[in-house]
Parts: sequence; structure tokens; C-alpha cells
Amino acid sequence: MPNSRLITARFTYHRPARLAEALELLAGLPGARVLAGGTDLLIQIKTGETDPEAVVQVLDLPELSVFKTAGGLTVGGAVPLYKLEEEPLLAAKYTALHEAVRALASVQIRTMATLGGNLCNASPSADTPGPLIVLGAEAEIAGLARGKVAHRRVEMVKFFTGPGTTVLKPGELLAALHVPEPPASSGSAFLKLGRVTLDMAKVSASAYLERAGNSMRTVRLAIGGAAPTPVRALGVEQILTGTVFSRAAVEKAVTRVQESISPIDDVRSTAEYRRLMAPVILRDAILTAWRRAGGEAEE
Amino acid sequence: MTITLTANGKEHRLEVQPNELLLNLLRDRLQLTGTKYGCGLGECGACTVLLEGRPILSCQTLAVSVAGRSITTIEGVSGEGSGQHPLQEAFLEEGAVQCGYCTPGMILSAKALLDRNPDPSSNDIRHALRGNFCRCTGYVGIISAVKAAARKMRSARTP
Repeated sequence: MPNSRLITARFTYHRPARLAEALELLAGLPGARVLAGGTDLLIQIKTGETDPEAVVQVLDLPELSVFKTAGGLTVGGAVPLYKLEEEPLLAAKYTALHEAVRALASVQIRTMATLGGNLCNASPSADTPGPLIVLGAEAEIAGLARGKVAHRRVEMVKFFTGPGTTVLKPGELLAALHVPEPPASSGSAFLKLGRVTLDMAKVSASAYLERAGNSMRTVRLAIGGAAPTPVRALGVEQILTGTVFSRAAVEKAVTRVQESISPIDDVRSTAEYRRLMAPVILRDAILTAWRRAGGEAEE
Repeated sequence: MTITLTANGKEHRLEVQPNELLLNLLRDRLQLTGTKYGCGLGECGACTVLLEGRPILSCQTLAVSVAGRSITTIEGVSGEGSGQHPLQEAFLEEGAVQCGYCTPGMILSAKALLDRNPDPSSNDIRHALRGNFCRCTGYVGIISAVKAAARKMRSARTP
């Protein structure tokens, strides 16, 4: 279907006020799609990529609008991204996530789009999954079990199952993201390469480090845009965890990122370029995270 | 479905279809044609309007989803008075307009910035206008105009 100023597809519109009501609606409308900010779904409807019989807009659910920073970060699935961008504590403590949100598209998109929507759309190039993975986040998923609202939790890295697909079963909603509070001796960073700043990433890197003196006590790393889902760079993590920090050691270790990724050629970049750049931005993300953890990183 | 919608301070009661986009409601039914259709895909920002003072893309917003809310378009940017907003004056003075198609969206995004940050740096302005494409001017005049408007607005505020 050609892109035009109109949406020609027909669907019914539902706007539940509570989580239970939303889940009941979804259970009764198997052909429905969940609508949050609409910045992905409405384009997919317009271009005919999806043709739902109904949309269920979840922006009014108080259960999905929670935004708490005390004792770890809790962000409801329907919290718009600008709220994360404007929260000073996010920049200070959950730096990689804050950088990813700021790097995401435009002010207009961040005003409309939600964190849950960015995750559920499950683009391999999306910006927010990597930081959530390295910060150790969990997804809280809500569904109906014997007519009652039931919740389950999934580690962020296991949330994605392929391009555009997640562990969410039909009728389930991504209720919230829970991120443990990083200790004082930690630092994180997110970097992306795009053609222009508005674009989605050709390849992105997220790093989280905990420092113990001159050593890296904990290392978690993720790459976006270079595999069917965001992936952890486990080989690199294993080499660096528990070792004394040195730039040379980081330079050497990041070459192992190749075993974690399987990039393709697409509209945004080539597999070759992604293979060349993944270790470079991963190195830069690690060095930045180390400095933020209070470590010295010689130039 | 019947909704109420406030556009530029005026309340409207409208019958809308679930698949009706805010862009088309504003342009075709309220004759607020200053809001432009550009790419239709959320890239260009020509369709930008303010929802409760924050910039959104009217071509990616269902009209029904903003029921009960308040929208500002370029036609309402100067408020009640018949004069121009300082941003509109500055865009003219600094030569920030060539074909003009991006200008309504550009001014609304800039207004949302200046309403929150009265003294933005060039980087703040670039960050705020990242979602508004201009294919004529090269942006230099636009950034000067936003700075000039910020100065006007600050000096108007100082007694």
C-alpha cells in the first residue's frame, strides 16, 4: 500500500482505563494490536504491514504509567520517552539509558513514543534495549490467568526473540521495566552510529562497568543493530571481568565481539561496515563507562 | 465517535472515525491548513503541532486519541493578539524562510523549546529541531532566528 496522508484501513478504537480492562479487551479481540504512542504502529497500519481489526490504546492505564526512581528505577510500559529524558537522576545514575533516550529520533517522537512501545516493536536497531540489558533490567509482563491479572518477569536480554518479535504472548502487555540501582562505583555508556542523528542505529554499543580499585569487577556489554535481536557481547565480558583495566586490554578484548554478532546488509548499512565498527564503538563505550565509574582511562 | 478538542483555544465538538488522523482533521475540517503534510512517516516534522505545549506529529496521531486535549497550530502561535509571535518576526528578519513549507513545524518546535528554555545554546536548538527538516535554508538562518527570538522574549519579560 502506498504511503499517503490517510489511513485507509478500518479498525475499532478502544481506550481502557485500567489494566484488567485492557487485558480483557485483548483477550476478546484476538485481531487487536496494542497502541501506545503510535509512532511505529500507525505507520505499519498505513503501509499495510499490519491490518488489525482493533487497536487498544494503553496510554491511560495507571498501572503502565508508573515512574519511580526510589530504590531502583521502575518505568511503566506506557511512560513517554520525554519523561525519561527530563529526569535528572536518569542522566546521573542510569546514564546509558538516558543517552539512548536522548539519541532516539526527534523531540516529537520522544513526546509521543513510550519506552514499552520501543521495546515491543523489537527492532534489532532500537536504542533502548541495549542500556536496559547492561543495566540488568527485567521486564514485567501482565496477562490474564483464570480471569485475574497475573504478572511474570523476564530478563531484558531474553525479552527479544527476533526482528519484531518478543516473548509476549497474545493478550499480554509489557507492564513495566525494573532496573536495579547501580552502585556508586559503577558507570555506563551508550553510543550509536547512524547516518544522521535522527536515524536508527547502523550499530550501537552499551557498556556497564563496576569498578573495584583498578579492576573491572562487573562487565556487561550489549550490541544493537548487528544481530536479529540486541545481543550481549559475552566473550568480551568474560575476558575483561575481574581484570585490571588497561586501554590495551580493552582494545584486544573487543575484537571478540565478532563471535556475538551476525550482521546483515540492509537499508541502513552493510554487514561488513557493522563488523568493522562494532568493536570500535564497543571500545569507546567501555572507556566512557570506565571514566564514569571513576576510573582513569589514558588516551 | 464524538470527541471534544481544543484547537488554538477554541473548543470543537466533532464526530471522528477511528482511523482519522489529527493532521486531516485540522486541515480538512477545521481549515487550519498551516499544518503541512510532508513525509507521512515521522521523519520530516512538517506536520508538527503542540499537544499541551509539547511538539507531536499530527500525521501519526489518531484524532480520537487526543480527545479532550488542547492543540496549538501555527495559526494559534501568537495567542489572542493579531500580531506575530517573536519567533515569526525573527524568522522574517533573519531570512529563515525560503519555500516556507517546513516553517510552521519549525516555529512550533522552537516555541516548545523556548517555553522551557529561554536561553538555549546552538546545540540545544539543534537538538530541539532535529525532527524538523528544511531542504532550502541550510538551517543557519533558522538557528539565528531562534536565538534572536529568545533574546526578544527575554527582553520582553524583563521589566
